[in-house]
Amino acid sequence: MPDRDLTKPDHLPKLREGGEPRHPSWLPRQRRGTTPQMIGRYPDYDVLANSENWDEATRRVVEQRLQTSGALRFFSAEEEPTLRAFCDVTTAQDTDPRVPVAEMVDDKLASGRLDGFRYANMPRDPDTWRLVLRGLDETAHSRYRVESFAACDESSRDAIVAALSKGELSGGAWDELDVSRAWSVCMRAILAAFYAHPWAWNEIGYGGPAYPQGYMRLGPTSTLEPHERPGATAEDPVRVASELAP
Amino acid sequence: MIRGLLKGSIGPRSNDSRFLLDVHRRDLPGQDTMARYEDSDEVDLVIVGAGAGGSVLAQRLARRGWRIVIIEAGPFWHPDEDWVSDEAGSHPLYWTQERVIGGKDPIEMGKNNSGRGVGGSMVHYAGYCPRFHPSDFETQTRDGVGADWPISYSELKAHYEEVERELPVAGQDWPWGDPHRYPFSPHPISEAASTLWRGALELGIEMRVGPVGIVNGTFGNRPHCIYRGYCLQGCKVNAKASPYVTHLPDAIAHGVEIRADSMAVNVEIDESSGRATGVTYVREADGVPRRQRAKAVALACYSIETPRLLLNSTSKRFPNGLGNGEDQVGRYVMVQGAAQTAGRYPDELRMYKGPPPEVSSEQFYETDPRRGFARGFSIQTVSPLPIGWAEHVLADGHWGRAMREYMRDYNHWSTIGVLNELLPYPDNRVTLADDTDPYGMPVARFDYTHSANDKANMEYSTKVITDILKASGAQDILTIHRFAHLVGGARMGSAPENSVINADHRVWAVPNLYISDGSVCPTQGAANPALTIMALASRLAERLASGAAR
Repeated sequence: MPDRDLTKPDHLPKLREGGEPRHPSWLPRQRRGTTPQMIGRYPDYDVLANSENWDEATRRVVEQRLQTSGALRFFSAEEEPTLRAFCDVTTAQDTDPRVPVAEMVDDKLASGRLDGFRYANMPRDPDTWRLVLRGLDETAHSRYRVESFAACDESSRDAIVAALSKGELSGGAWDELDVSRAWSVCMRAILAAFYAHPWAWNEIGYGGPAYPQGYMRLGPTSTLEPHERPGATAEDPVRVASELAP
Repeated sequence: MIRGLLKGSIGPRSNDSRFLLDVHRRDLPGQDTMARYEDSDEVDLVIVGAGAGGSVLAQRLARRGWRIVIIEAGPFWHPDEDWVSDEAGSHPLYWTQERVIGGKDPIEMGKNNSGRGVGGSMVHYAGYCPRFHPSDFETQTRDGVGADWPISYSELKAHYEEVERELPVAGQDWPWGDPHRYPFSPHPISEAASTLWRGALELGIEMRVGPVGIVNGTFGNRPHCIYRGYCLQGCKVNAKASPYVTHLPDAIAHGVEIRADSMAVNVEIDESSGRATGVTYVREADGVPRRQRAKAVALACYSIETPRLLLNSTSKRFPNGLGNGEDQVGRYVMVQGAAQTAGRYPDELRMYKGPPPEVSSEQFYETDPRRGFARGFSIQTVSPLPIGWAEHVLADGHWGRAMREYMRDYNHWSTIGVLNELLPYPDNRVTLADDTDPYGMPVARFDYTHSANDKANMEYSTKVITDILKASGAQDILTIHRFAHLVGGARMGSAPENSVINADHRVWAVPNLYISDGSVCPTQGAANPALTIMALASRLAERLASGAAR
């Protein structure tokens, strides 16, 4: 029986048997605005509805992320399927609407934006990315006899990425990298892209930019600004009950 | 006593920055009308770096009539247009040019240390402004570790007080170190921070609100904080203190020129006298090397770029770089352990509201032999925004669906961190790498390795903050091990064999070259370094102006 009492932490992976997260189908569909895959932990919240209260410079930067971008500039057409599959798996984006993580990472690398450091035993970030994509394909081929990582089924992709996250891949391209550090290089870019997107802010109920408006409700009486909406626990209990009925 | 009674009403005596700012625009006033010097003018002082150290030095000496040029690698900010309430969009505030990191425990750089642009890294620091403790200046004598400074806390005390009035610092009366009051009252705090504080009290750990360089009330033309939570992305309100609002307006009004988008590549030396004659720099716009002549030079480029510039400034007389006759430049660079733990609570706390720095404790700051390691740590509440929170979740081992689940739970979490005093070691060092930057200057390489004492300190402190979360009723806990701040690399000392500069910040063997930034610190305490860097620059200015340091 699904449980929508979010004062309880039972849905958190570390507290669940096996450490596996629940399938997000326990959450309502987003009713307002857009979230990645329309998962609605805050189903009636749309951060963009408040954008008229943001300063212009901020609005420009955030709304630009909603523009569809053209073809990839840094990654090649051969690399693209694996790039997309890798970004999908690491951010659990299995259907549309998707935050365009692959495009955002591509834009960062094509524009030469650096993070400010490079490990002495690692190539530059752009080269690390190409090696990781090659390594993913090589591992997919050697483990599952398919031509690329993108051609793997979901569980094989998950297994490969799990091994990558633990630094447990070797051979071929992986031997040119410190695998754990390569994982952190890629994930830094992927997370910075995904959680820069206002759709992701909708999903996590984040209040968003607040200049010049500011925040006023710091608690304990309330932590909700007028433009914010509470988590799914505060839904109409009658409706929740009827939705949850078999 | 008077300061306690008149909280919020006493400003600094000789710094008008707060009145020079515009109520309706965030720009640093005077960019169009500021003094301009020719490269061929022999100015009194050229400073490299418009951050905490360089700006205070410039402001003080400009008021004494010195003709000063500040060379700054980054842009002259126009916050209304350039700064955004957005994490990813704030990337240009950081020093993101290439640096190589090595050693057994390489330190990731970028967004939580060096800044780039007028105002320096204080543009993106959180706002915590604690003083160092008196013990920090004599750790070798007291605890047998680290180093003794050639100056004592008492020599900095008046400068701490003056800088606290200038920022101004808001906080509760401070019981640790040298007990003191703050010129502004403590800010109201969020329920996220209160929750953590209750946990600390359960364990008998004392915490206090502040100290933060954030206006509580109004301060000249600087408004009250609006609690929007984007302190680390550059304050668009002008409530958070950085040299951009606290010292540079007054500096410009007193004839300082800030030459932005200009990368210093070499300190010029007269081969016969060994004196500095100026600084060679390259403007981003044209890439042409130029040389600003000066009677004296001060470097204020922080712990990576100051050693890099000293090492790159080679000549027949100084083939190994400046101040490096005894192979000391770039050594003893320190970072602070900055692990954070986050706890999950039944109610929505929405920790993104209010400044990330709210409540802190220095109860564990000094050595306690029962803990089994020398020196200590401080505890501070923090509050990561979504990208920072995602890095926290990833560090605990979650990606994909598990990460999305923890991220969706963001509003139920509150975060607390430590700052460990990690000790200075000669091999934790900045050197020049083989790679070069677009100007052909070798990039910096920073090697770093922890000691057993460092590891014991970090392990102990992580347990303390985890216990605070448990005592506060946290339902789940996520931990990230990370590092913040940089000091050392050109430390002050008693002789060229153990340091790069003397107690007057003068580089050994170069009589008119000074260093005025965090790289001069022989130890770092468990305190955020910004206030101390400013206080040191204030003291240096006083000594230069009086002739004591010349």
